[in-house]
Amino acid sequence: MTSIRRKGRLAIAGVLIASVLAACGDDSKSSNGGGTTSGPAITLAVNPWTGSAVNAYVAKAVIEGSLGVPVEIIDIDENATWLGLDDGTIDATLEVWPSGHAADYETYITGKQTVVDLGKLGPQAKIGWYVPKFVIDAHPELATWEGFKDPELAKLFATAESGELGQFTMGDPSYVTYDEQIIENIGLPLKYVVAGSEAALLTAIDQSIADQKPLLMQFWKPHWKSARVELVEVALPAITPECEASLAASDGLFACDYPIDELYKAASAGLATKNAAVFKMLSAMQLTTEQQSEIGSFIDGDKMTPGDAAKKWVDANPDVWQAWLA
Amino acid sequence: MAASVETLPAMESDEAVRARQQQRTVGLAIFAALALGALVAAHDVPDWMDSGIQKWTQDRYQWSVLNRQSSKVFTWVFNPIADVLTWAVENTESILLALRWPGVIALVGVIGWRTGGMRAAIAGAVALFGVGVIANWDLAMRTLAIMIVAVLIALLIGVPLGILTSRSDRIERLVRVLLDTAQVMPIFVYFSPATILFGIKFPPAVVVTVIYALPPAVRLTNLGLRQVPIVVNEVGQSFGATSLQQLLKVQLPMARRTILLGLNQVIMMAFAVVVLASLLGTGDLGQDVLSGLQKQEVGKAFAAGLGIVLMAVALDRISTGEKSTRHSRLATQLPTVSSRTAAMVAVGIPVLAVVVARLAGASLFPTSLQFNIATVIDDAVQWVQENLRKGVPIIGGTQAISDFITLYLLDPLRDFLLWLPWLLVIVLMALAGWLSKGWRLSVTIALCLGLIATMGYDNKTLLWDHAMDTLSQVLVAIVISIAIALPLGMWAGRSDRVERALRPFLDAAQVLPQFVYLIPVVFLFSVGRAAGVVACVIYAVPPCIRLTSLGMREVPFAPREAAISFGATGGQEMRNVQLPLARKAILLGINQTMMMVLATVIIAALIGAGGLGLLAYRATAKPQIDFGLGTAGGLSIVLLAIMLDRLTQAWGTRSDTHRGT
Repeated sequence: MTSIRRKGRLAIAGVLIASVLAACGDDSKSSNGGGTTSGPAITLAVNPWTGSAVNAYVAKAVIEGSLGVPVEIIDIDENATWLGLDDGTIDATLEVWPSGHAADYETYITGKQTVVDLGKLGPQAKIGWYVPKFVIDAHPELATWEGFKDPELAKLFATAESGELGQFTMGDPSYVTYDEQIIENIGLPLKYVVAGSEAALLTAIDQSIADQKPLLMQFWKPHWKSARVELVEVALPAITPECEASLAASDGLFACDYPIDELYKAASAGLATKNAAVFKMLSAMQLTTEQQSEIGSFIDGDKMTPGDAAKKWVDANPDVWQAWLA
Repeated sequence: MAASVETLPAMESDEAVRARQQQRTVGLAIFAALALGALVAAHDVPDWMDSGIQKWTQDRYQWSVLNRQSSKVFTWVFNPIADVLTWAVENTESILLALRWPGVIALVGVIGWRTGGMRAAIAGAVALFGVGVIANWDLAMRTLAIMIVAVLIALLIGVPLGILTSRSDRIERLVRVLLDTAQVMPIFVYFSPATILFGIKFPPAVVVTVIYALPPAVRLTNLGLRQVPIVVNEVGQSFGATSLQQLLKVQLPMARRTILLGLNQVIMMAFAVVVLASLLGTGDLGQDVLSGLQKQEVGKAFAAGLGIVLMAVALDRISTGEKSTRHSRLATQLPTVSSRTAAMVAVGIPVLAVVVARLAGASLFPTSLQFNIATVIDDAVQWVQENLRKGVPIIGGTQAISDFITLYLLDPLRDFLLWLPWLLVIVLMALAGWLSKGWRLSVTIALCLGLIATMGYDNKTLLWDHAMDTLSQVLVAIVISIAIALPLGMWAGRSDRVERALRPFLDAAQVLPQFVYLIPVVFLFSVGRAAGVVACVIYAVPPCIRLTSLGMREVPFAPREAAISFGATGGQEMRNVQLPLARKAILLGINQTMMMVLATVIIAALIGAGGLGLLAYRATAKPQIDFGLGTAGGLSIVLLAIMLDRLTQAWGTRSDTHRGT
């Protein structure tokens, strides 16, 4: 027994001495972006898609380079982001899709006022119904929703899960969805199936193209996948006043196309006092869809790190970001 | 011959037999009456059964969101805890980074050497070195830091709780129900409350990891202490030891082995959770797994996943804490290393490693030593995806299997369960419980299902209907898992070579984050319930194989030899002697399989399985709207799990009483 305990003690002693030794003169931390530092570090959230990383790393390059404030990036889930903004652990997030966060807007921005709206980012996004291009090539009538009224055509999309009906595939349940309502209210012979995650949905696209087996799904642009495969949006009925009213009342009677998403930025309410210069710069910051996808292609296509991609663009386009600092 | 083992003539008087038959008739009559009643009653769960649990939970959630800055519960309790956890993880991480990679590897080697001898030292060090080779070392150290803090907290809470439960059966029962519930509850249900209570990043990640790592710590401490022979306790008492002295000097040292096994299990459970925790912003190795998936970079996700596996292997080897018997026997014959030399080695090597590493400026793991397995994996996945889906002789390929599972197994079973009136489902399951064990179990089952009926609606669908959907998937997955695992387990139980060949696959399948094979599974089996079943099977098969093999191996040799000397062939001996004697272990394997399947229901939801798993996921996906719904879905999974667990456990004990001689 004593020998065991001694061994234990030895191991602990080894750990302690080594750690003390390691901790002396630790030089690995304490370095940051560069330039003269002013104020505590700013934390920006990156949600798991390329556009979100593009905005955050561009902002990081500008803030560190021109304002001399260190920026930390945190990779985090969208919902957790709001709680981080709420308690100030996160200072800002630069790409919120309004359609998915109406409840958050109400709770934190208009309600608690712990989070503030920093204005539009610039790009407009569009959620909708999409099919791979080969489907439209073979059946041009499927370019609009009316094509799906034909049970024979809808059946092209049938799977073991959907049986006699065509399958409508939805990805991650955290995204906003009216598809079930649209299908029911228009009366289309489709069955709504939740794939459960974006990864599963993307894989379903690959599978569909590999087999030339039609796939109808909820998808959105901008998305990095649309640079690799051709996806065509299916036209849904234009938005009517009734549909807008139904959205506001969430009465389940929605039967139109998805509204356009104007992406916006949000900051923790404390940021204005924590660092007014950063707050001002982030409020002014805007990117066009083209700029965002250009930087995105450095990351997805050329396999650059988001940091390098942002720096490359910032170096080449000073006139764009200098306007944010004016 | 073996048949006589099964049906030993009952040693009961005629009267007892008659009384039992009478009881049986009465019981059956009661169930028949109940079944009739169920047929007459409404087919669907009536509205008044809705307990309103969803709204209640959602309201609590909303209250916490609104009051997390002002309420004293937060400012006095949760926020300080969160601060301490952040402090602990950050400091552990900076120590690990400051030690530099040679220092960390040397430390693991030395700890392994002290706890498990040279073999453990080498295995631990090599595995950890492998982490640096295939994954990002700095991210791995952050994962390790979270693990270390979570495991220490799990032990700090778990061991005292284990001691407490070993003293009182009542406390044990209560704690066990709580821990079982906490562990079966899908992880996605915890994320939103954990972030509201503890903020983002490290604190909620540590808390969620502790929830899953705690049960084995409690369970095995309790088991270890209960296994200490009474005689030993009495000797201690007769020497006048106080109960504290006895605990510290007698019981805990004697239970050390089992408690260490608990530590090992704690570490394994914690690693299983760590990937998902990176959703909360920890930015560790799990982040690489998740972002790899998001971009469909299976190889990258796999490499990070393998890094996590290797880290688990390293900690497993150095925490098992027992030198192999061969080693210790050797050690007694060889001249033992003097304790001073041991001390010098134990302290010297890590110190030397750290000094050298820092002088040489080795702050990053050298890129020249890194090996990019991502491309290899990507090629392999590509090949599998292109060649296994279609045109495979006889079975036709994975797509055909997927369609078969959906159309001929899942659909009929689900439709049948939904076709039955809900009360009849309860009566039939309760009857199964009564036949397996008796009234108590019967009531437990009825209670579990009855509570599911009170969970309300998801939009217009009853949660009951989702539960029947999930139940059908779980049953199909269990049957397929057992059909695969039992033959393999039996084979492994009779052949050392097979056992050795299977072991690395079993280890990897159990520790590898399930996320890394989501994409290939979807590509091969298409989005839907069948893909979900396959994911469950992949996860559930290893423990079943392992326990079956173990059960076969633990059968004493004497009866088997006797059978052979009576002229039984190998096959006869296996069927009639070894299998019946291994029955209990095999039934335990089936029970474990089921729990694994239920734990994977939530992962299956990410590839299209729907059902309760998807509801539980929505607690994380849209907490502002669906937290109450998600919690109700998670609770329903827990209730299904408790029901199936008690039922299969009853089969295990019943086989005992039947054989009791």
